[in-house]
Amino acid sequence: MPKIAIDPITRIEGHLRIEAQVDGGRVAEAWSSSTMFRGMELVLKGRDPRDAWLFAQRI
Amino acid sequence: MWGDLNGSIIPRHAKPKGWDGRAPTRWAERGVSRRSFLRFCAVMTATLALPDRYMPKVAAALERVKRPALVWLEFQDCAGCTESFLRASRPSVGDIALDILSVNYHETLMAPSGKAAEKSLMDTVRQEKGKYLAIVEGSIPTKDGGIYCTIGGRTALDIATEVCGNAAATITVGACAFYGGWPAARPNPTGAVGVQEAVPGITLINLPGCPPNAVNITATIVHFLTFGALPATDQQGRPLFAYGSRIHDTCERRAHFDAGQFVEEWGDEAHRKGWCLYKLGCKGPETFHNCPVVRWNDGTSWPVGGGHGCIGCAERHFWDEMTPFYRRLPTVPGAGVQTTADKIGAWVVGGTAVAFATHGLISTIRAKVRPLDKELETKEEAR
Repeated sequence: MPKIAIDPITRIEGHLRIEAQVDGGRVAEAWSSSTMFRGMELVLKGRDPRDAWLFAQRI
Repeated sequence: MWGDLNGSIIPRHAKPKGWDGRAPTRWAERGVSRRSFLRFCAVMTATLALPDRYMPKVAAALERVKRPALVWLEFQDCAGCTESFLRASRPSVGDIALDILSVNYHETLMAPSGKAAEKSLMDTVRQEKGKYLAIVEGSIPTKDGGIYCTIGGRTALDIATEVCGNAAATITVGACAFYGGWPAARPNPTGAVGVQEAVPGITLINLPGCPPNAVNITATIVHFLTFGALPATDQQGRPLFAYGSRIHDTCERRAHFDAGQFVEEWGDEAHRKGWCLYKLGCKGPETFHNCPVVRWNDGTSWPVGGGHGCIGCAERHFWDEMTPFYRRLPTVPGAGVQTTADKIGAWVVGGTAVAFATHGLISTIRAKVRPLDKELETKEEAR
């Protein structure tokens, strides 16, 4: 079965990769992956809670 | 700053000295009137702090220019810089800038995806080598071989090295591409850095800010197209026209600081009167940016104008060094009325800083005798 990968997916905010297994013109299985990680949760740990919105709105 | 087009400050048939009066076909086709175009040129000239006699030169350059290619790379970003750029005012800064340039790659805007998108990028890098502009938004992860940001199977570092390395010039937009931004904030989980650190030795200019102002991005591009060079910068690679003066020095609330009139808590009488936000954590005294002058949302307002302190987003490591954002700056260097980022870096924080920080304290004591505070005190007691 042929497998296709579309990366980058455009016209979205952020980074996305789609892989699909095609069987007789139909998608049999598909996987999506976010190809970017920054670790907002780890950065927010231990900070002044009043600052959280300023970080989180920039996700 | 932009105001209503009908109230333009430029006469209807303005022909600046040195202007040869060519028909503005290119802009007219795009629905941009002659007047709007000249207004745009005037704003750009003013933003770049050039004498107004340069306006015809700017206009002529934008008329003549042969749409240089531009690629806009997004790495560890939130697309906020893109939004800031696209939601700019009218005559849309975005429209005009995008029309002067041939935008060959921008993931958030382009129609092609996947292989076709990659082809647009690589064709530009190969065919326009040394001639195209690269704009970078977002930080570049360096930990674990850079796997925390990949596009088309390549790491951000790999793409930046090739694309920025072959560009005529690279413009970084936003805090992330400048030094790493919040992804680089403690504990910097992905080893995020800015372009300058990731790809050293390239021709580069930094436009930090979270987000940066569209007017400054456009003015930098206009400068490059008009003079064939990037504008003069400070030691951190930030253009002086936009980052040459301190927010505190151009702030509309500065008079209140000097008079010792401070907001003591959110929503109090002083806050309603628009007094100085220094005591509630405003980072204006340590931040170099032209926000008070160019402003935001079509030049209508800016954070301090809206009643919130500056968070210092144009400065390196502000997510760690300026936080907690609502804590008053403990020691603020700066005694004079005017200063620059380079000078501040060279200063020894001594007596002047202490004097500055205690200014707030003394003012509280002085303020006790003010009728307004008397009034507030009475209210407090009544509560």
